[in-house]
Amino acid sequence: MTVKTCMKRDVISIHADTTIREAMTLFVKRHIGSLPVVDDHNVPVGVIGLRDLLKLEMPAFVDFVADVDFVHDFGAVEDMRPSAETLKKQVKSIMRPVFTVKEDCGLLRAYSLMLQQNMHDIPVVAKDGKMAGIASRVDVGVAILSTWFKAEA
Amino acid sequence: MTLLPVILSSVIFFGSLILIFWEKINRSIVAIVGAVLMIGVGKALGFYSEEAAIAAIDFNTLGLLLGMMILVAMLEPTGFFQYLAVLAARASKGNQIRLFLLLSVITTILSMLLDNVTTVVLIAPVTILISEILGVSALPYLMTEALLSNVGGVATLVGDPPNVLIGSAAGLSFNDFLVYSLPIVLFSWAGAFFLLKYLFKQDLAKQSQRSKAVMELDPAETLNHPKTARQILIVLGGAILFFFVHHLLHVEPSLVALSAAAIALLWIQPDIHDVLKKIEWSVLLFFGSLFVMVGGLEHSGALEMTVGLFENASEVSPVLFGVLVIWIVAALSAVVDNVPITIALIPVIKGLGETGMDISPLWWALAFGAGFGGSGTIIGSSANIIVATLSEKTRSPITAALWLRRGMPVMLVTCAIASILYALVYRWL
Repeated sequence: MTVKTCMKRDVISIHADTTIREAMTLFVKRHIGSLPVVDDHNVPVGVIGLRDLLKLEMPAFVDFVADVDFVHDFGAVEDMRPSAETLKKQVKSIMRPVFTVKEDCGLLRAYSLMLQQNMHDIPVVAKDGKMAGIASRVDVGVAILSTWFKAEA
Repeated sequence: MTLLPVILSSVIFFGSLILIFWEKINRSIVAIVGAVLMIGVGKALGFYSEEAAIAAIDFNTLGLLLGMMILVAMLEPTGFFQYLAVLAARASKGNQIRLFLLLSVITTILSMLLDNVTTVVLIAPVTILISEILGVSALPYLMTEALLSNVGGVATLVGDPPNVLIGSAAGLSFNDFLVYSLPIVLFSWAGAFFLLKYLFKQDLAKQSQRSKAVMELDPAETLNHPKTARQILIVLGGAILFFFVHHLLHVEPSLVALSAAAIALLWIQPDIHDVLKKIEWSVLLFFGSLFVMVGGLEHSGALEMTVGLFENASEVSPVLFGVLVIWIVAALSAVVDNVPITIALIPVIKGLGETGMDISPLWWALAFGAGFGGSGTIIGSSANIIVATLSEKTRSPITAALWLRRGMPVMLVTCAIASILYALVYRWL
């Protein structure tokens, strides 16, 4: 079984020169967790995840204090909003390098890579390098389980 | 005495110092390369040997540092330092001036008992937490913590590495520091504190809109291992009691610290690998290597020649000489690491003693200069570098220029207060 069998073909993607605000709107409207960034030829050049956007206003102490359980009220941090300047910046200023697999990639391989790279969705590219689909951990994981059932039958 | 050993040993030592200050290669790597070069050259020219190099290492300093590092490594994961900061935050009720005072006092007291770097590493993260919850800038607090830990550390034998070095070399006891250093440090501290409160008055005047949020911080929940915290504090308290009387018992401070570490390890039996991972071995290696290098300088006759330059020093008024030492060492410490400076100056001061000069006041001048000088610039002390690095992730990063405007005045004021008191005290002694 390859990742091609379980991926979603309708990929929501964005250009590198769009603004962070537009990207945020897409996340909200389409209820997605990660957004591949593509060039004019639909070749993936980067990715932004929900966490990259949330990091813009994540308090610094979360990185420094190992266990924030004792903080019951985050106080002023709760009211923080990204500045208008931040929202006007281009997507490429915060995007991360993208990690992709080919359509013929095996399911276990795809899942292992997602675990190791700490990704929740993995973009799938065709032979020519163009975006072909995207698969989430749930897509790949469930597909693996279903092959086990088929084996039983 | 031929000149070649003097020249070569000086080239190795000052070459290493330049590389250390250049900071392109890790300082511990530079130091160990310099140390083995010194032994190699010394053996070839017949002025130094392996035995002499080992004898040059001050194991008393290394033992004291190691013992305290082990205790802190065990105390840190208990959450005790967060506990203190959360108590301070609650006691302040979100009022900035009160929080500023409480965090300053806690940091200073901790820096007297622990190494400055350790103090800042433990208190700065939770300081950022409190200021973010309050919605105020963390910058005044972070800078003040670093600066006051530099100042407070000068007060005690165990407060900062230069003091450990000076105490060991000059045979000064824990109590000697409390008698000769602590009073002068208290005045300098007050000067520094009020100066900082003035310099940051605009930031501190802002009233937090979310002052109630700090009351929701639960001190009990900050302690991950209350029982372990209690055990280590008991051992640490015992060690401090023994520090007070170590000279009466003819016991070196290193034995006190290592005994405390041994008792704590036996009592708590932590995962030893976790504890050892937190020990700063690179610091110990750095110190050991510097000792070996300075030992080489001593054996080559280079230090003797340096002391010779000061032959007429006894004609200068001893008080003036001491004040000069404070300012020269402070100026050097502001731009470079104060540990190599202290390690290099200790034999020079000892040499001056052999010329008949009364050097007991000079040890204090060296301690004040090395300790207070570190406040001057952002790279003046490791504590400064740590808070500056942490601040980069917050909304108000600390810049080198800002440090000059806030830290340099603190260095000047503390050195001035120390100089005046030093002059007053040693005029009549």
